[in-house]
Amino acid sequence: MKHTLELHLQRGDGALVRTLGLIERRGFAVNSLSTSPQGVDSELALVVEVESAHRSVDVLTRQIAKLYDVRAVSLTDVDECILVLKGSVAAC
Amino acid sequence: MATGAALLLNALAREGVEVVFGYPGGAIMPVYDALVDSGIKHVLVRHEQGAVLAADGYARSTGRVGVCMATSGPGATNLITGIANAYLDSVPVVAITGQVATPVMGTDAFQEVDIFGMTMPVVKHSYVLRRVEDIPRVIRDAFRIAAEGRPGPVLIDLPKDVGAAATDLEPLGSQPSDLPQAPEPAALVEAAELIGAAHRPVLYAGGGIGIARATDAFRDFVSTSRIPVVSTHKGLGNVPTTHELFLGMLGMHGNPAANLAVQDADVLITVGARFDDRATGKLDEFAPRAHVVHMDVDASEVGKLRHADVGLVGCLHHALGNLEVQPDIDEWRARCLLNKARCSWRYDAPGSGVYAPALLRKLSEAAGDNVTITCDVGQHQMWVAQHCHFQRPEQHLTSGGLGTMGYGLPAAIGVQFGDPDALVVTVTGDGSIMMNIQELATIRRYGLPIKIVLIDNQCLGMVRQWQELFFAERLSEVDLSDNPDFVDVANAFGVPAFHVDTRAEVDAAIETLLTTAGPVLAHVRIDPAANCWPLVPPGKSNSTMLGRAHT
Repeated sequence: MKHTLELHLQRGDGALVRTLGLIERRGFAVNSLSTSPQGVDSELALVVEVESAHRSVDVLTRQIAKLYDVRAVSLTDVDECILVLKGSVAAC
Repeated sequence: MATGAALLLNALAREGVEVVFGYPGGAIMPVYDALVDSGIKHVLVRHEQGAVLAADGYARSTGRVGVCMATSGPGATNLITGIANAYLDSVPVVAITGQVATPVMGTDAFQEVDIFGMTMPVVKHSYVLRRVEDIPRVIRDAFRIAAEGRPGPVLIDLPKDVGAAATDLEPLGSQPSDLPQAPEPAALVEAAELIGAAHRPVLYAGGGIGIARATDAFRDFVSTSRIPVVSTHKGLGNVPTTHELFLGMLGMHGNPAANLAVQDADVLITVGARFDDRATGKLDEFAPRAHVVHMDVDASEVGKLRHADVGLVGCLHHALGNLEVQPDIDEWRARCLLNKARCSWRYDAPGSGVYAPALLRKLSEAAGDNVTITCDVGQHQMWVAQHCHFQRPEQHLTSGGLGTMGYGLPAAIGVQFGDPDALVVTVTGDGSIMMNIQELATIRRYGLPIKIVLIDNQCLGMVRQWQELFFAERLSEVDLSDNPDFVDVANAFGVPAFHVDTRAEVDAAIETLLTTAGPVLAHVRIDPAANCWPLVPPGKSNSTMLGRAHT
């Protein structure tokens, strides 16, 4: 199953690597990734398409939400926001 | 004017840190220089892994954040196993590593490694302290993060020039962790309905209860609900292991009564546990008829491996205190207790050699309710879990998630520094003790009265047992019969030691161990062929227990 995650990260040492590393370590492939500055310069917006045959994306989203660099995370399928786990993402 | 290193130590003191376990080296020298004028006690171990595992033992036994430090490069990489150990067992540890100076970071400088990057998968959070002005905030946040919610290790990498920089900044005040939120009221109602209507409920109690210091709330719930309890390895002591309703540890080396109860359960109330594979066996066949109520402070554990019919995410105290259920289960309870009686351990092994389970049971009974037992990893670790009594989870320190051979000795050092008056016993094996045997020097240096029971079967017993059972008896690299004489080794470190070779010597050996004033090591020779039973084969259902139903 493919899913799209939208995240806002606090910029800082390792924030991006930590987030992507968690996604892969938890059994998801990263199919596509885009980043852009978000609002204030201290934040980075991420849109990531992830894919896994066996793992629950809901659980992955909760695991991402635990990261201290992550300000907001939401899970979308196609163009509909279905789950906001932490903070708020502008697109939702 | 003070330095960044002095500011860092002042910030540690502001967090209430009294003791730090560590080992100096080049990049962290500014911190060790500032340590001379600091009020913080530093414990010099003999290997950095000893420092982080001692900090782990200190944290588990005291409930406070354990702190360790090491220099850059090999000092830092030697911490990694202990950091991973703390991560997998949810232990609050702050690890401080020296780093090369910021101008040469990224140039492959002497003793430079990217410890921040290397540890990323096994820390709760981590920092590179690039600016001296960030020290107060980072130390305050690191301690809060390590302790809050589900605890874990936090790494702080401190470049040498930042530690040496002049500063007149002061530490920030400690920031207490926020209490976990209460679970959703609607979920509590759902859980109460499910449990109240259950015919065969079982409480599956994990290490999270002790970590949350929620044992009183859990015991109140057990007393009110009268639901039988099984425990994970790390959950031992959530109720006293002598409690009427305690059926034993579940899982691979669990008590058959515990595994049978879970397999027959219609509602499994999971409290601070994570469906670890050593506990569940084949996941698809674990508690196959049970609805699951899952209480955990970590939302990402609910539904990770097993669907939860009701998830109670948040404060365990609140969840347990607000679930008032008294299911009508007299028949089920009686059945569980009958199984428990049928599956009670036996200690009448034939022969005159030392029977390790019997020795450990006797030792546990003689040591009383206030002993803290630290373990290494292997057969002896499972025998401790099966046969020792625990009144509280903090009495039993074991490397549950990572299975770190070499954990026991440094963990005991951490426990002893947390409570100098504590009776601390380390149970180890002839494989495990060699992983951190250098810490006998630390025990000697500080005069720590740790009692060491070394159970020696002249091989890597658990690996040998698996090779016999699952690899057609093709023994491969498990022979340790050429180990040195451990009594001589202990004596060379200045630790008194003695051999125990026969069953007839056991009572006197236990008395000597417990009455010797300082550190002491008992070297116990057992049958090299002894196995640990029962055993659920890896990947099999917990219904498939090999070996005798009782030892």
